[in-house]
Amino acid sequence: MNSTATAIAILFLQWVNVPLPNTPRTPDGNPNLTAPVPKTPDGKPDLTGIWRNPDGKYLNNIAADGVQVPFQPWAEALYRERQENFSKDRPSGRCLPHGVPDIMLVPATPFKIIQTPVVTLMLLENQGHFRQIFTDGRGFPKETNPTWLGYSIGKWEGDTFVVDSTGFNDLTYLDDGGHPHSDAYHSIERFRRRDFGHLDYEITIDDPKAYTRTWKVSIPFELFPDNELMEAVCENERDFEHLVGK
Amino acid sequence: MRTLGVIAIILMVSCAAAAQWVNLTLPNIPRTPDGKPNLAAPAPKAPDGKPDLSGIWRVASGKYLQNIAADLGEPPFQPWAAALYKERVAVLGKGRPSEGCIPHGIPDGMVVRNFPFKIVQTPGVVVILYEEFNHFRQIFTDGRGFPPETSESWFGYSVGKWEGNTLVAETVGFNDKSWLDDPGHPHSEALRVTERFQRRDFGHMDIQITFDDPKAYTKPWTVTIPFDLYADTELMESICENEKDRPNMVGKQGRRWR
Repeated sequence: MNSTATAIAILFLQWVNVPLPNTPRTPDGNPNLTAPVPKTPDGKPDLTGIWRNPDGKYLNNIAADGVQVPFQPWAEALYRERQENFSKDRPSGRCLPHGVPDIMLVPATPFKIIQTPVVTLMLLENQGHFRQIFTDGRGFPKETNPTWLGYSIGKWEGDTFVVDSTGFNDLTYLDDGGHPHSDAYHSIERFRRRDFGHLDYEITIDDPKAYTRTWKVSIPFELFPDNELMEAVCENERDFEHLVGK
Repeated sequence: MRTLGVIAIILMVSCAAAAQWVNLTLPNIPRTPDGKPNLAAPAPKAPDGKPDLSGIWRVASGKYLQNIAADLGEPPFQPWAAALYKERVAVLGKGRPSEGCIPHGIPDGMVVRNFPFKIVQTPGVVVILYEEFNHFRQIFTDGRGFPPETSESWFGYSVGKWEGNTLVAETVGFNDKSWLDDPGHPHSEALRVTERFQRRDFGHMDIQITFDDPKAYTKPWTVTIPFDLYADTELMESICENEKDRPNMVGKQGRRWR
């Protein structure tokens, strides 16, 4: 199912070749992906760039690397049901957003990080959505409506950008395979840019209603250099008939 | 037009019920002695000395969504465009893309008064985050030109440069499906939009927009739309949920009134 969806998505895309300034290059002119991490004027690692994970296995299953998932019984039953029906009801099949983290895991749709002192933006090619990660010292609002992408606050721990998010609805799937979460979902994401071309990502899933303890997965992202996001607005009427499920 | 106004009010009320604003005292906001944002303070500057357009903005009047040419009278239609516009007005804008959770275009994504937008200005790119449908748009200011080929898109491909205190953004690469406003001023895929962003003071910004689309209009035409800063708040997430929202959409034929 997912490979079909991915193939359809790729058909619509047409990459732009934009040789970007400030990209370190090897003598042959290619981006030097093992060059050191760039820094922002305030001395922090600069995460800015276009990123993706080209391996679809994490979109299908964020626990693909053999992580033990400590399901609560209802969550396990729901996951099994979704596995059996090929996740036919997953929100992205109806032009509703992927969630955190899987909105970043669709290989055909990279995402762009734009880091500023007060907010780090994540521009998601997937459906043209965005996330904001606030770093201006604010805390979480006292009350929020439940949201698809949560409310995110970031801070630096050494060279690692740590993002806490809460305020999720219970509608998104953690991956296309259908790992569920409840409205108690709290994610802690740790972004560490290893070198110019590589970003290590670790997400801790803290959701006591759906899982008996916190669990985490690590996913590597690669820089997608000399490129630009394309517009990928999900057009319901047009796309709907192409979507598959059992 | 009066009916359209009523529809707008219905839509605004239903949306306002869903929205819940965050009240947030942000740093770096000049304040009057009573602690309120000083909207008449000078426009802030970015580290590179350019005016900083960053902030949450909201169109000063709902009339522009109802007619982008409200201050102009009638734009210089080509005959087919005039006929299509008349047809759309006659059915109260039924069939406009935003009904199907498809984005408003440029400029009307910015003139939906109930959905503010946020500008995040960085040296290489100016990002516009639309509260409406949680979409974004990028205006590249890193010196790149337009790509040799662009797929047709809803928001186009935008490059910007500074002329004095004004950010001038040029956009091409549109599809012909977005409407310039809710009643349905049309455009073709030949549309080229020039936007001139000027932050007058801390609390006010004007965007002068020129539409150059020789297939749909006999000559370029220009409107100027004022925006107010929406201080001490944050965008809310507003995902268009098709199945849920569709019954609330209105129009003359085949749509259910609520």
